[in-house]
Amino acid sequence: MLSLRSVTKRYGALTALDDVSLDIAPGECFGLLGPNGAGKSTLMSLASGLRSPDAGTLTIAGAPVSPADPSSRTALGLVPQSIALYEELSAEQNLRVFGELYGLHGAKLRARIDEDLEAVQLADRRHDQVKHFSGGMQRRLNLIAALLHRPRLLLCDEPTVGVDPQSRNAIFDYLERLNRGGLTIIYSTHYMEEATRLCSRIAIIDHGRILALGTLDELLTRLPFEEEIGFPATPATDALAAQLGGDGTIVTQEGRHRFQPRADFRLSAFYARAEALGLPPRLFTAARPTLEAVFLHLTGRTLRE
Amino acid sequence: MHVILTLVRKDIANFLRNRAAVSLTFLVPIALIYIFGWVFGLNQTDSGPSGIPLGVVNASTNPGAAKLVDALRAESAFKVITTYDLPHHATRPLTEADLRPAIRDNQFRFAVVIPEDVVQRDAIGLHLKILSDPRNEIESQTVSGLLQKVIFSNVPELLGQSLQARAQAFLGNTRFTQFNRSLAETIAHNFGGDPAEIQRTIESGSLGLDQATKPAADPSLRRLDNTPAAPAPTPAAGTAATPAKPETKSDYFSKLVKIDQEQVVGKDVKSPMATRLVGGWAIMFLLFAISGSSAAYFDEKNTGLFQRLLSAPVTRAQLLWSRFFYGILLGLVQLITLFLAGRLMYGIDVFGHFGNLLVVCAAAAAACTSFGMFIAAVSPNAQAANGLSTFLVMVMSATGGAWFPLSLMPEFMQRIGKFTVVYWSMEGFAAVLWAGRTFTELLPILGVLAGITTVVMAISIWQLNRKRMFE
Ligand SMILES: Nc1ncnc2c1ncn2[C@@H]1O[C@H](COP(=O)(O)OP(=O)(O)O)[C@@H](O)[C@H]1O
Ligand SMILES: [Mg+2]
Repeated sequence: MLSLRSVTKRYGALTALDDVSLDIAPGECFGLLGPNGAGKSTLMSLASGLRSPDAGTLTIAGAPVSPADPSSRTALGLVPQSIALYEELSAEQNLRVFGELYGLHGAKLRARIDEDLEAVQLADRRHDQVKHFSGGMQRRLNLIAALLHRPRLLLCDEPTVGVDPQSRNAIFDYLERLNRGGLTIIYSTHYMEEATRLCSRIAIIDHGRILALGTLDELLTRLPFEEEIGFPATPATDALAAQLGGDGTIVTQEGRHRFQPRADFRLSAFYARAEALGLPPRLFTAARPTLEAVFLHLTGRTLRE
Repeated sequence: MHVILTLVRKDIANFLRNRAAVSLTFLVPIALIYIFGWVFGLNQTDSGPSGIPLGVVNASTNPGAAKLVDALRAESAFKVITTYDLPHHATRPLTEADLRPAIRDNQFRFAVVIPEDVVQRDAIGLHLKILSDPRNEIESQTVSGLLQKVIFSNVPELLGQSLQARAQAFLGNTRFTQFNRSLAETIAHNFGGDPAEIQRTIESGSLGLDQATKPAADPSLRRLDNTPAAPAPTPAAGTAATPAKPETKSDYFSKLVKIDQEQVVGKDVKSPMATRLVGGWAIMFLLFAISGSSAAYFDEKNTGLFQRLLSAPVTRAQLLWSRFFYGILLGLVQLITLFLAGRLMYGIDVFGHFGNLLVVCAAAAAACTSFGMFIAAVSPNAQAANGLSTFLVMVMSATGGAWFPLSLMPEFMQRIGKFTVVYWSMEGFAAVLWAGRTFTELLPILGVLAGITTVVMAISIWQLNRKRMFE
């Protein structure tokens, strides 16, 4: 569906995308996972023809993406990272504008607007000004504004930033339904949970480079360990964490330490140390690692740094 | 085209939803035009001012003086006061000594004294005293203009008497009588009539001037000139001071009276002042409205709206054209609305040259739109754009003559003014509404406005692309 061949994009001295190659198959839900500044939005803007690459080529269904050829963009829907709506206008007025720009009108446009507002539970607020919407409602509207013309490829650039869990679920459910219906989706995010839940394949991107690409399982096999051990961060456990420094990586987040052992480290050694410090075994839970661990393993940093 | 129309419709809907923008564009300038209309004395209705209290003391026994008092009474602008109120509802005639305290007490602000020697022996002209408290300059000008009008148009024989008296002093009594007699005989010989009667008329000071401004009521008083009564002074299309064809005394006087009406009373609805007032505020607030909508470029960029639009089948060119057409449309509607308000308030002749007015308004709106793009192009962010546009709009309005006539300003400022959109728009409005120029005559001004638009748009688009406004 979308192919990138050795695509490079620079902003002055900064290289935002560095020799990126990708192939996204029709019907895929493809995740772009990376921290802020990784180059996700830049990739989206190249794919939607807003900018031209400095090197390399992009094609959608075999046809080159060109900023000069607007008709090539009807197959494509872009959900911008920010809320790209006219605040003073009502939800319906916004949708009408965007639908008309794609050549929709009359009964067909009305039917699409009704259908999509219903799908994200905004039908009863259709006449309200967008500025009176909550962040989550604006995000939902931001999404369907890119879908009215029924694109074959949907580019979602961090579509859930700052939304309540209810809106997030509404968005996910809708995207999953669309994907099942055959829509190809490229979904960028810095939340690994989102990529894990939605995407069949995920590219981990940082500093404009794709560091790893594959299904969730494929990415996890890149880790030298199969399980990580989590325990609460307290003064008593801090001593243990300090001792483990040479045997693997300790990640401390939200009041918990997570120990990711080196490949040759034996877990029996871990429990022996804990016992020696007088820490009861019930403090420790073994768990399957997440994409966070993959990112950390690849970059030495966490996704939110 | 369909894309551009959709975008323009969107801009209009967006504007109409924004109450602050709507009132700043339409209501505020109308209010200011109304208020400044009062300041410049444009709001007087056709009947002019009325009931201005005027103290009048007549110390002269000359019948002409009594006529003057009657004429002042007849003038609806004045409420003539000739009596002084005593206790117990009694009154006595007003005297000159009463006037100054009365004016100080604000019983009236103007008074006329007709002294005993209203017709002087030793000077040509009349001797009148006018006392005033000019706390309101416009009112003072109005009143003195009205007084002149009443004196000149109603009692010209007082002037004649003055001339007679001067001639008498100069020639001596005997030769003076001889002169008048031979004059009367010559008139009787040429035009007919009784020489004795004519001589009496001449000696009473009537030189026929009053006949020139009034229909001849008394056929026994023959006219000294043989021109027909002056035609009613109709201002010929646009120009106020059309010279009457035969330069005669009667025409001279009717013209003098008419000019007084225009300048002092402000009755002339097509006055350049009203056009300037409406055009000036209109163009200034149009600049504000348009540069405000250009500052919104930054919001549209930052919120990703440009991205959304351009990821649809919309080109940058369509985006720019839609802004351009929207600016012209907003400008046209705003300018025409304000001129219609000007028509209601001051009788500006909007429909007399409606086609030309539309063309000039469109050209002015286009130039203002290019200015708005320029602001967005050279500013780093919305705040800077708002600051810069406020500054530039104020400077351009001041130097371009939107607030007061350019002629009031030092020459170097007048020169700066000629580089502004405001100046050329105002020139265009005046050319259509006041001077009634034809389309061909408007071409130079339209050309300048189109030139400004083209150059400023080109610079703006180049700069907008350079700073990647639409990426
Ligand atoms: N218009 C731009 N001009 C200059 N630098 C930019 C521009 N857009 C993005 N960048 C830079 O390029 C890098 C990648 O940005 P972006 O693609 O927005 O990352 P992401 O969406 O993953 O957060 C960042 O370092 C960012 O600062
Ligand atoms: Mg981004």
